[in-house]
Amino acid sequence: MNIQIIVNAISLGGVYATIAVGYALIFNILKFSNFSHGGVLVGTAYMGYFVATKLQTNFVFTLLITAVLGGILAMIIEFVAFRKLRQRRANTMLYFVSSMTVSILLTNLITVLFGTSYYAYPVFFSNSSFHIADITFITSDMLQLVISVVALIILQIILRKTRLGVAIRALSTDSETTSLMGANVTVIIAATFFVSGALGGVSGLFLGMNYTLYPQLGAIMITKGFVASIIGGLGNVTGAVLGAFILAAVEVTLTNIDFIGSSLTPIFTFLLMVVFLLVRPQGIAGSTVKEKV
Amino acid sequence: MYKSKKGLSRMLAGIMALTLGLSACEAGSNGKQDNSEFIVIGAIQDLSGNSSVSGKAMDRGAKMAIDKINADGGINGKQIKYIPYDTTGDPQEALSAYNRLVEQDGAVAVVGPPISNIGLALTQTAAEAKVPIVGAFIDNRVTEKEAGVPQDYMFLVQPTNQQSGAIQAGYLMEHLGVEKVALFYDKTNAFGVSQVEAFVDYVESHGGEITTEQLFKSGDVDFKVQLNKIKESGAEAIFAPNYPKDNTLYCTQLEQLGMTDDFITMGGLEFAPPFLTTLPNPAIVDNVYYAVNVAFDEPQLQDVNDLYIESYEDAKTVDDISVKVYLGYDAITIIAEAIKNAETLNGESVKNELEAIRDLEMLCGNFGFSTTSHQPLGLSMVMYRIDEGQNVKLERYVPEELK
Repeated sequence: MNIQIIVNAISLGGVYATIAVGYALIFNILKFSNFSHGGVLVGTAYMGYFVATKLQTNFVFTLLITAVLGGILAMIIEFVAFRKLRQRRANTMLYFVSSMTVSILLTNLITVLFGTSYYAYPVFFSNSSFHIADITFITSDMLQLVISVVALIILQIILRKTRLGVAIRALSTDSETTSLMGANVTVIIAATFFVSGALGGVSGLFLGMNYTLYPQLGAIMITKGFVASIIGGLGNVTGAVLGAFILAAVEVTLTNIDFIGSSLTPIFTFLLMVVFLLVRPQGIAGSTVKEKV
Repeated sequence: MYKSKKGLSRMLAGIMALTLGLSACEAGSNGKQDNSEFIVIGAIQDLSGNSSVSGKAMDRGAKMAIDKINADGGINGKQIKYIPYDTTGDPQEALSAYNRLVEQDGAVAVVGPPISNIGLALTQTAAEAKVPIVGAFIDNRVTEKEAGVPQDYMFLVQPTNQQSGAIQAGYLMEHLGVEKVALFYDKTNAFGVSQVEAFVDYVESHGGEITTEQLFKSGDVDFKVQLNKIKESGAEAIFAPNYPKDNTLYCTQLEQLGMTDDFITMGGLEFAPPFLTTLPNPAIVDNVYYAVNVAFDEPQLQDVNDLYIESYEDAKTVDDISVKVYLGYDAITIIAEAIKNAETLNGESVKNELEAIRDLEMLCGNFGFSTTSHQPLGLSMVMYRIDEGQNVKLERYVPEELK
C-alpha cells in the first residue's frame, strides 16, 4: 500500500479519535448517543476562531482556552438538557431526543449569529507541511495526531488512576450502587461532560484550523464519531479510538479506488456499520450494552 | 394531574395566540392588501447556508437597485416592495419560498439564486405559477428545456455553464499551452457538473487529455486523497469549478501538499472577489485563473462600487465586492424594465416583456434574452489570474467557435 495513503489514514484517524472518545465517554455513563457533542465541536470551533482572531492568541493558548470553553459548554448542556431527565429517571430515548434538539439548536444559533459567511482560521504555523523522502506530512494533522494521543493517554490515566476516574467507571457500570456508596453522581456526570467537552474543544479547534468553519461542520463530524463508536464498541473509550482509525483507513482506501471514490465511500462505511450492528453489536472492543439508543 | 393538564392547556393556548399574533403581523406587512400600493418583486436566496456568500451578495445588489429605482420615482409611479426569503441553500425551502411569494405576497417576478440545483428544482413550479424567475443559475438546463425550447418562466442573467466551460478550456489550451488536465469537482453540484461537461468536450475535441477525474461531495472537508491522485496523474492543470467554501479547502490543501507551483488551477467563477478576502492568508492562492463577465474596473460599475463600500461595513475595497452583487443589481434592472413595459401587472405579461428586451444597458454590458433559450444574447468574459493572493486582470477572451 502507498505509504502516503497510510499517513493520510493515520492523520484522519487522529481527527476522528478525539471526536469519537468525547462521544463515547457520555455513552459510557448515561447510555445514550450524545449528538449534542456535534454542537460542542462546532461551537468551540467558532469560539477558537474568535479567540485567535480577536485576542491574537498563539496556538497553545488558543488550544487551552478552547478546551476549557468546550468543557464549560458541555457542562451547561448537561445542566440544561440532561440533568432534569436524570433526576426524573427518564427513558433513555428522551436523552437522545434532547441531545438531538441541543445539536440542532446550537447549529441554528451559530447560523443566525455567523451563518452569512464561512470563516477560516488565522495561520498558526509558518510551514503548513513538511516532507520526509517522498511523503508529505501536514503540520496541523501531525500536531493533532500527537495532541490527540497525549489527550487520550491523559484520559486513560484519569480513568484508571484517579478517584474521579474510578467514580466514572463505577458510574458506567451501576449508577445506583455508585450513588449508594456515597459518590456524588451529579458532580461525576458534570465532570465527565467537562472532560468530553474539553476533548470536543480540542477537536473543534483542529477542525477549524484544517477545514473552513460553517454551522453544519459539527453535525457532519459527529456522524464520523458515531460510526467509529459503533465499530469500536459503543461507550468503550479504547474501542472508539480503534474504530476511529479503522473508519479513517476504510475511507481513505475507498476514496483512492477510482470506481468508488468520495461519492460512494459513505455507502460502504455505513454498510460496515450495519454489518457490525448485526454481527457484533458490541463492536471490536466493547461488551454488549443493552440500554443503548 | 388536573394542575398539570391545566398548565398544558394554558401553554398550548399561549403558543396558539402567539402564532396567530405573528401571522397577523406578517399578513399586515407581506399580505396581498399591500399589493395595490406596491409592485412586489420577490427574491429567493441562500442567506444563511453553505452558499450564503453568493446569496447575500445577490440580495445586496438587488436591494441597491430597488433603492435606486424607488428613489427615482419607482416604476410607472408605483414603488417597488422587495421581499427576499432565505432558502438556506435547500431546494425544498426555495420551492416553499417561491410559492409563498406568488400566492401570499403577490410577487410579479422573482430574483433567483446563483444556485443551479435550486434553479432546476424551480422550473416546473414556475411554469405552473406563471411568475418569471430571473437568476444566475448557469446550468443551461435551468433555462433551456431542450435545444431551441426555453423553460418558459426561467431567465438567466449571466453566461451559461457551456459558454463558461468552453471559455475556460479554450484559454487554458490556447493561451497557457496546457494539454493534460485533471478534473476536481463536486458531482452532486449542477454548477460544477455542467461546466465540466462543456470543458471536457472542448479539451477532447481540441486534442487535449483528461488525466483523471477526482470527485468529492457536498460536506466533504478532506481533499488530500484526491489531490494526491491528481499529483500522480501527470496533469499540468486542474479544472476546479467549485463553491467558495470548497475552494478555500482546495487551496489550503493544495498548498499543504506543495502542489501550487506545479499545477495551474482553472478555478471557475467562484474564485472571483470577494473570495481572497475571506482567507486568513490569501498569499497561498497562486497560479489560479478564472473567468468573469465583468472587469471590476469598468466605468459603469464605479457608482455601484462606491455606494456598496459606503453602505456595507464589511466592504473596504473593490476586492470585497462579489460579482454576484452586480448580477443581483442587473436582475432587478431587467425585471424593472419588463414591468415598465408590461400591459398588465402579472407574471405572464412580465415574462413576455422579458423576452422582448434588447440592448438594455446594464452593469454587465448591453443585454437581451434569446427567445429560444432565455439565456443572454452575445457573450464576453474577462480572464483574471491570482498571483500570490492578488487579482490580476488579463484580457477579454472568447474562443473562435463561440464568436
